[in-house]
This record gives sequence, C-alpha cells and structure tokens, in this order.
Amino acid sequence: MKPIWNFTKKYKTLLLFDFLSVFGFALSELGIPTIIAQMIDQGIERSDPQVIIRLFVIILIISVLGVCGTSLLAFCSTRISTNVTYDLRQTIFDHVMTFSHAEMEKFGIASMITRTNNDAYQIMVFLQTILRSAMIAPIMIVVSLCLVTLTSMNLAIIVFATIPIIVVGVIIFAKYSAPLSENQQRSLDSMNRILREDLSGIRVIRSFNNEGYEEKRFEKENTWYTSQTNKLFKMMSCTDPLFFFLMNLATIAIYYVSAIMLGHQSIEIGQVVAFVEYLFHAMMSVLVFCMVFMMYPRANVSAKRIQEVLNTTSSIHSGNQTLGRIKKVELRNVSFSYPDGEENVLSDISFEVRQGQKLAVIGSTGSGKSTLVKLLARFYDPTKGQILMNDQDISKVDLSSLRQELSFISQKPHMFKGTIKENIAFGLDEAIMEDIHEAAQIAQAMDFILEKENQFEEEIAEEGTNLSGGQKQRISIARALLKKCGLIIYDDSFSALDFKTDSMLRQALAPIRKDSINIVVAQRVSTILDADQILVLDEGKVAGYGQHEQLFETCQVYREIVLSQMSEEEVSDHAKKTHV
Amino acid sequence: MPKKLTFKQCLAHLWRFLKAHKIKLFIGLFLVIIMQIIYAIMPSIEGMITTQLQKDVGAMADHVPGAHIQMNIIVRILGVLLAVYIVKISSQFASVFLLTDSIQKTMEDIRNAVEVKINHLPISYFDSQKTGDLLSRITNDVETVSNALQQTLSRVIGAVCTFVFVSIMMFSINWVMTLMVYVALPIIGGISFGMVKKSQPLFDLQQQSLANLNATINELYSGFNEIVIYDQQAKAKEQFQTANEEMRKSGFKALFLSGLIGPMTALVTYVTIGCVALYGCLSVLNGTLMLGQLQAFIRYIWNINDPISQLSQLSNQVQSAFSAMNRLFTFLDMEEIVDVKESEPIREVDTIDFEHVRFGYGNELLMKDVNIHIEKGQTIAIVGPTGAGKTTLTNLLLRFYEIKGGRILINGQDIRTLSYHDLRDLFGLVLQDAWLFEASIEENLKYGNHDALRADVVQGAKQANVHHYIRTLTHGYDSMVNESGTNISQGEKQLLTIARALIKDPKILVLDEATSSVDTRLERRLQDAMDRIMKDRTSFVIAHRLSTIVNADLILVMMHGDIVESGTHEQLLARNGEYARLYNAQFAQAEEE
Repeated sequence: MKPIWNFTKKYKTLLLFDFLSVFGFALSELGIPTIIAQMIDQGIERSDPQVIIRLFVIILIISVLGVCGTSLLAFCSTRISTNVTYDLRQTIFDHVMTFSHAEMEKFGIASMITRTNNDAYQIMVFLQTILRSAMIAPIMIVVSLCLVTLTSMNLAIIVFATIPIIVVGVIIFAKYSAPLSENQQRSLDSMNRILREDLSGIRVIRSFNNEGYEEKRFEKENTWYTSQTNKLFKMMSCTDPLFFFLMNLATIAIYYVSAIMLGHQSIEIGQVVAFVEYLFHAMMSVLVFCMVFMMYPRANVSAKRIQEVLNTTSSIHSGNQTLGRIKKVELRNVSFSYPDGEENVLSDISFEVRQGQKLAVIGSTGSGKSTLVKLLARFYDPTKGQILMNDQDISKVDLSSLRQELSFISQKPHMFKGTIKENIAFGLDEAIMEDIHEAAQIAQAMDFILEKENQFEEEIAEEGTNLSGGQKQRISIARALLKKCGLIIYDDSFSALDFKTDSMLRQALAPIRKDSINIVVAQRVSTILDADQILVLDEGKVAGYGQHEQLFETCQVYREIVLSQMSEEEVSDHAKKTHV
Repeated sequence: MPKKLTFKQCLAHLWRFLKAHKIKLFIGLFLVIIMQIIYAIMPSIEGMITTQLQKDVGAMADHVPGAHIQMNIIVRILGVLLAVYIVKISSQFASVFLLTDSIQKTMEDIRNAVEVKINHLPISYFDSQKTGDLLSRITNDVETVSNALQQTLSRVIGAVCTFVFVSIMMFSINWVMTLMVYVALPIIGGISFGMVKKSQPLFDLQQQSLANLNATINELYSGFNEIVIYDQQAKAKEQFQTANEEMRKSGFKALFLSGLIGPMTALVTYVTIGCVALYGCLSVLNGTLMLGQLQAFIRYIWNINDPISQLSQLSNQVQSAFSAMNRLFTFLDMEEIVDVKESEPIREVDTIDFEHVRFGYGNELLMKDVNIHIEKGQTIAIVGPTGAGKTTLTNLLLRFYEIKGGRILINGQDIRTLSYHDLRDLFGLVLQDAWLFEASIEENLKYGNHDALRADVVQGAKQANVHHYIRTLTHGYDSMVNESGTNISQGEKQLLTIARALIKDPKILVLDEATSSVDTRLERRLQDAMDRIMKDRTSFVIAHRLSTIVNADLILVMMHGDIVESGTHEQLLARNGEYARLYNAQFAQAEEE
C-alpha cells in the first residue's frame, strides 16, 4: 500500500480540501439533529416560536454549507483518485519500457496487462472509497462521539461499550470470509478452465463421445463453487442485520438509562432525541468504515502486484560505445542459463561469421537455438563468455546503437494497428514509398498486398487476424529489410511459408546477403542447405559445425534431422544438383 | 443473428430456472415484506417512548403532584421494542438464507445448462465466435445476474414496501407534513434519475476509453519485442499516454457527475427535514402533535429517501443484469443439433463412400462434387495447400458439419441415419493441437475408454512410444497435466494423444497434421507410433510432409475444396500434375544462389 500513498502525497492541496470538506458533511449530518434537539428544548419546552423559526433558518444555512462540502468532497476525491490512477499507470508503463526480454517473460504479457489496467483500476476504486467515505467515517465517529460525551457521559458509556463488540465482529468476519472468498475465486478459475478446455477440445470431445463426461466434470466443480458462494453471500448478508441489531439493543439501553436520568432531571428530553440520532449516524459511519476494511485485502493484493513490477529492474544494462555497421559477429565460449534455471540452456558456444556469410542454426526444440540468437540482440546477456560485434563486446555497446544496427525477425511477429505500409515502415517514419515497395518485393509480400482492396493502405485488424501466419512473417521480413542493417537474424521466421514461397524468398534475398550477415534459425532442412556454415545444437551444446555435406557424413544428430525430412535419394539428389 | 429478447421473455426464461426453487424464494420474499413492516413500525414505537417521557417531564416541570417518570410504562414499551427487534433480525436471517439458497441453486442450474448447451450446439457455431468472447459471456453474465438477483431483488421489493408502509405511517401521524415530503420526493427522484441518465453517456464514454486503453496496452505489450528491437520505446510511451489521458478525463467526468447525486438529493432531504421540524415544532406547541410523533416522522423522512436514491443506483445494475440475461438466454435458446434416437451400431467398417458431396462453411460452396471410395484397412493421405479443404473432409466424415448435398456412406449406410454416438464411436482422432485436459495422464489416456484397465493404458502408451517418457515423470501415470500442458512438450503431448486414440481402439483413424508441430528428432518416434497405430485400420492422414505420404494406398490431392487428383504416389508422379508440382516444390533448391 505504501507506493499508493507515495503517489497520493503529490496532491497535497486537493487532499487538504478533501479533508476540510469532510467537515461539511459532518456539519450537516450531525448539525441538523443538534439543532432539532435545540428546537425541542428551547422552543417547545419553553414555548418560544421565535427560537424555532430562527433555528429553522440555521438548518437551511447548514444544509447549503453541507452540500457545498460534500460536492467539494466528490470533486476532490474523484480528482485525486483518477489522477493517482493515471500516474500509476503511466509509471508502470514507462517502467515496463525499460524492461528487457527476461523481465517481460517473467511476468508474462497477460499478467502485465492485468497489472497495468485492472490492478490500477482496483486501486482507484479503493482510493475513491477511502477519500470519500472512509475519511468521513473517522471524523463522523470522533465528532459524534464527542457530541455524545458532551451530551451525557452516562449515555456515552453505552455507546463505547458497543465498540469492542463491533471490532471483534469485524475481525471474526474477516477471518472466516477470506478463505471462503479465496476458495470461491479458485473454483471460478477451475470452472473457467473446464469451459475453456471444452471449447478448445470440442472436436476431440465429440469424437470420443465424451459430452456427458465433460458435463459431469463441470457439474462437480459447479456444485463446489455454488456451496462456497452460498456461504460467502450468507455471511456477507448477515453482517448488516447483526450490526443493526446491536445498534437496536444499544437504543433500548439508552432509552432505559435516559428515562432514569430524566427522573433525576440530569438531562433534557431534546438531548435524548439528539442522542439517538447521533448514535444512528455514528453507527452508519462505522458501517462504512467496515466496508473499507473489507475492501482493503483486495486493493492490497493489487498494490502488491503493482509494486512487484515497479521493484523489478532490467537485467540488461546499456553500455556507452557506439557500434558501426556490423561486419563481423563472434561468439567466444558463450554459456547461458535462465536466472532461476539450474541447467545451462547453452554451453560453450563459439563461432564467427563475417559480412556476406549465412550461418544456419538447427536443432530440435529445446536445443537452445532460439535462445542463442536472442543473445545477439541482447534480449538476455550470456552468463559466461563474450559476444563481439566488429570486435566490440556488445555489453559495452549502447543498446539503441546495437539495435539500430541489427534486424531481428521472430517466428510469430506482432502486427500493430494500422495499415500494411505503416507496419512495414515501423520505426522508420521517414521511409519512402519506393523503399517500402522494394522491401515488400524481396519479402515476397507484393502479391498478396496487391490483392488487398486498399493494397498498402489496407488496415490490419487487431492481432493481425486478417492475415495468415505466412503473410505476417513476410510483412515482418519486409519490415526488417527496410532497415538495411548489417546483421539480419531470422528466428524461425520462414516456418509458416509454403515451400514454393520459401524458395522464392531465398532467391530474392541473395543480393542482400552479399553485404550483410545472415543468421537463420530453421526447422526445415531445405531452408538451410545453402548456408555457408551450419551450427547444429543438441541440448544447448554444439553437436556439429560446418557445411551440409561434411555434417551429413560426420554428425549423427544432423543426419537424423535431415533423414526425418528427406529420403536418402533426395539427399543425394541435392548433392548432385549443387555439384553440377 | 437471433433477435434480441424482450424484457418479458428474459423474465420468462429466468422463471424457468427459478421455478425449481420457488418455495424458498417465495418464503424469503414474504419475510422481506414482514421485515419492511417492522421497519416501518419501529420509529413509531421509539417515538412512543419519547412522547411518554415528554409527558412525564412536562408534568414534573408543571409541578403536578406525584409526577414522576412512569418506569413501568417505559419498560413495557421497551419490552415490545425488544420483541420487535428480535422478530426483525430473525426474519432477516431467515430471508437471507432462503433467498441465497434459491438464487445460488438457480445460478448453478444455469451454469450447468450452459455447459450442456455447449455440448449440443453444432460446431459451426463455435467457428464464428471467438472462444474468449464466449467464455467471458458465460461466466461474467452468470455472475452479473447472480449479483443482481442477490442484491437487487430483495432491495427493490424492500424499497417498494418501505415506500408504501412508511407512507401509511406518515399519513397516520400528520397529513400536512406528509404532503411536504410528497413534494420533496419527486424532486429527489427527478434529481437521481435525471443525473443517472445524464451520466450514462459519460459512463459509456468511460467504458470506451477503458476498452481503448486496454487495446493499447494489449497492443504495446504484445509488440514488446518489436518495440525494443526497433528502439521505439519513446513512441510507445507517447501512444500510451494519449490513451491514459483520455481515460483520466472521461473517468473523472463520469465519476464526478455521479458523485454529485448524493449531495444534491441530500440538500432536498435536509430542507424537507427543516420544514417538517419547523411545522412539527409549532404543531407540538399548539398541542396538535406529540413530540415522539415528530421524532418518528423525521426518522421516516430518512427512511423513505434512502430507497429512492438507492433505486436510481440500482437501476444501473438492473440494466446490466438484463443485458447479461439477454445474451445468456439467447445463447441457451440456440438451436441444438438433432440426433437420431436409435441406430444399429456398426461392428466392422468395410467401405466408406463420398457420393457427390457438396459443402461450404458459409453460403458459398467450398466442395462442389467430392467422390471417394475407400476399402477396409486402406491408408488414405490427403494433401494440398492450406485452405484446400483437407480438414473439412474429415470434419464431414465425423459429421461435425452437415453436408449440403450428396451422401456419405459407411458400409453403404448414410451416416445421417446413425446416431452421433454410434458414428463417432468408430473414429479415433489425433489433431495438430494436441488437446489434453487438466487431470492425470492416466485419466487423459483413458478418455476414449473410461473402463480401460491400467494394463491397457500402459500397453497403449508403449505402442505410442510414450511409456518410457511417462515413467520419467515424478508421479508416472498419475502426473498431472496442467492447463495448456506447458509441463509437457508438444511432441510428447502428441504422442499422448496417439496413445489415447490407441486405447480407444477405433475402426477408423484420422490423423490431422499430427506431426507438423513436433520437432525433428521426436518425429522418428512419432512416425513409428503412427505406423503402428495405422496398421490394420482404415486411416486418414493429413500431413504437409510429403515423405509421410509416399506409402499411402490412396493419395487425394485437394485444391480449392475439391479433389483434383487421386491415386498412389507412383501413379500421381507419372501423371506429372498438381501432385508432382507439390512434391517437387518441397525440394526445389535455389540453384541460382
């Protein structure tokens, strides 16, 4: 909760007004009963209509003042809570932008979205309740207790006696409701999960004739959920009546005691009427305060989740050297493991590629090939060893400078909201149309773009749903080519292309390869046959490093991979073709 | 799209579910009314004490001989009051329990109905709906309705009762003061409803900004890699700030305006109380009103105002509950697939035939005329580019979709004369996205045959080359598969689905791109498993790796929904048509490089 307070502190003036305006509310809520009491004691008991009329005017004045106060309160509390939420969101987002890949992965995109949006929203609701109602409660309680005590000490004791009972009640309630609401939440998640499974597996379920089985599975969770919700609702709905019952009992005690006191003439009748009113308002405030108490755990969870993001700092630190066009990439004994991982994902990898060369990385899933190329873009830093570009250690290079000099195309590229053209020219606002056309041409994206109704101006739907996986890959390749960098990294970015497009793309890329370094991660053997060097990874270690013919003869892992995709004849066919 | 349900239809639907728990519901609601009556009487009884006290105090002040506080009367009234309080809290408790029971049970029934509905809708319905959309609809909508019923129902009834009973009580005290309140009430109602109505567009705007902010966050976080790689953080921040600022503005407006409702109505209430107090005090002086009655009356003003300002706020909740019910019941109203009541189960599959089959997902036809003849035990490979209708063919065979013309026959019998159960009992399905559910591995493997013994399960796993892998897991066959199966690699998952199909021991096997997402080294194991499972079974294989297909008995080449070529590998190569082109394209090298 502390960070929230830090954000709120900024709005000192508004907070001050918020605090002051609460008194406006107290003035009207408690002032009116006080004045009515005076009407009774001074007007009725002394039979003086003049006093009654004068007091009526005061009621009107107090009403207007009170309403001004509560309106101001609404203004301040809303201003502060919306502003704090804004600041909070902005701070989270700005902070996330300093993250590296590792931190983003640690939280996961879905969780980051909830933290930035929903958690901040929870804080806003909580803050508003506190600033509006909860600020009122303590002041109302204090003021009404003061008034109660001033009216009559003996009667006040009855009111004070109820306080410990309320406190104990709230504690008991919190203790029993917390696990219930946790159970309920967990059960809701399970129910959602089963529904999700039923939707995603609908064909499998029907083909196995398991509709009934799924219904039973759902019903079981549903029954459990209902029982938990039922208990929780009952408990919550019982608190109010109990609370009022306590107040009712106190009222009886007050009437009894005041009757005795009236006998001794130690109190006036108007005061008794006012006293019951004070009790009513004080109790209402306590009730509101309890609500805040119940909201607190939820807001606290949100605050913690936000704090977690803000406390995380990027594990990648920028250097200060600038990097020129990349002409050489060298890895020296690089090892890598994830922060919480015990085993190395990559161990002792070395290679060197120069301008004009193509390096292919191949291996089974989990062999670390994708991680390897991510190290080059500094999504992570190696745990051991060095990565050199143009003989400069990249950990000493400025991050922006490094990323300006390389292009990285991921397997599942993200499409931004906007036109195809804007997506290709992403990050290059001054790109000219000619260059965009050229990049699209090379990336084999021209055909399908021209088929679109608005061609390059065609809007891409959210998440790129109006494009196929292969089309997205081609747009992202065009996007990368437009940058014209010295180093282009393809992280399995041909996987969704059909064979024909794949081969045409490789032909079109040939001229670009002459003055750049190409590093390609691939699953398909056909994609990598023409590489100058092939790096075969197996469980994070180098299983082979060389060219196709040589590896096919000497490297068992490589041979297996090739033969799982091609027959022996095709391999020798290929050998013949390349040797002609 | 189906029509929107009317208000009345929604209630009729809801009643269908509530009916089962109506006794508890009605008793609960009856108790709510009792409670309101007590609530209306209470201030009057409390006022009686004040009146009695004032009378005694007045007598004492006038030095009437023997004047004292008559404690016996006071205690008697207090006794009545205590009894009333106890009746009140008992009826409150009882109504809470009864109402919660009936409402929550109703919600449970609705949720079950939704689940059953999912299983009885045609698959085509789910093609057009985003899964997430459907999911949020179901869970959120049921929650919304549940909360609304739980909180609103008794409050609305309570508010109406309060209004009636309190009005009666007020009239019985003094009609002039009651008229004062009746002048104020429409003003309060007008302010509340007017401002709720006025703030509605602002809330809509806030909702829009929230959606926009959400979309922006989603977009920028999903594109995080690209933003970092292209060094666009500054631009992203700007973009976010715009959406955030918009949210702040619209949020403030909506919340502030709705926050003014309370103070505004309070002003009217205060003034009314002031007027009543003025008139009341003067009447007490005239002797036409008792002090206790005045006290009670002022409390009645608070009591009658409360439900009116509450109702205006509840109207929001009621509205959203109705739109939730609308979506929910529209979904539950969807037409279900019709099943054949009884059919003769097929023991052996001798032939499968497609005769002039026509089909399209929408109005346009994808398949115009598909004809296939398959004999028992054959392996049929289906090849073709994406969107050619390969999966559609198997979907039609399992009757996930209804054909628009022609016939599909098994042993010469139209599959539409078979019940879904008997038809699908023949099939084992292995799909590209290896679907497993959250349960133990054994339960997953037994999915097609719940009576299978552990020995059968192990046997199946062995045949699918996955037994060894399962043994390496900490709890072996009892290991849990978590959601989306992230603790098991895609390849192993695929092997598990093959084992699952094996344990069902189907007559016909359908393998839809079962190997495409599996990494290269596992593929050997997978290929072995597949060869084993396809032996002696009629199998349909869809694959994009042509090498898998070379040994098939029949290859169907599909283009734009129709079969353009069919035959064995050698026959098709010799024809030098589409198949030959596809086959060569795989190994077309960039010789020019």
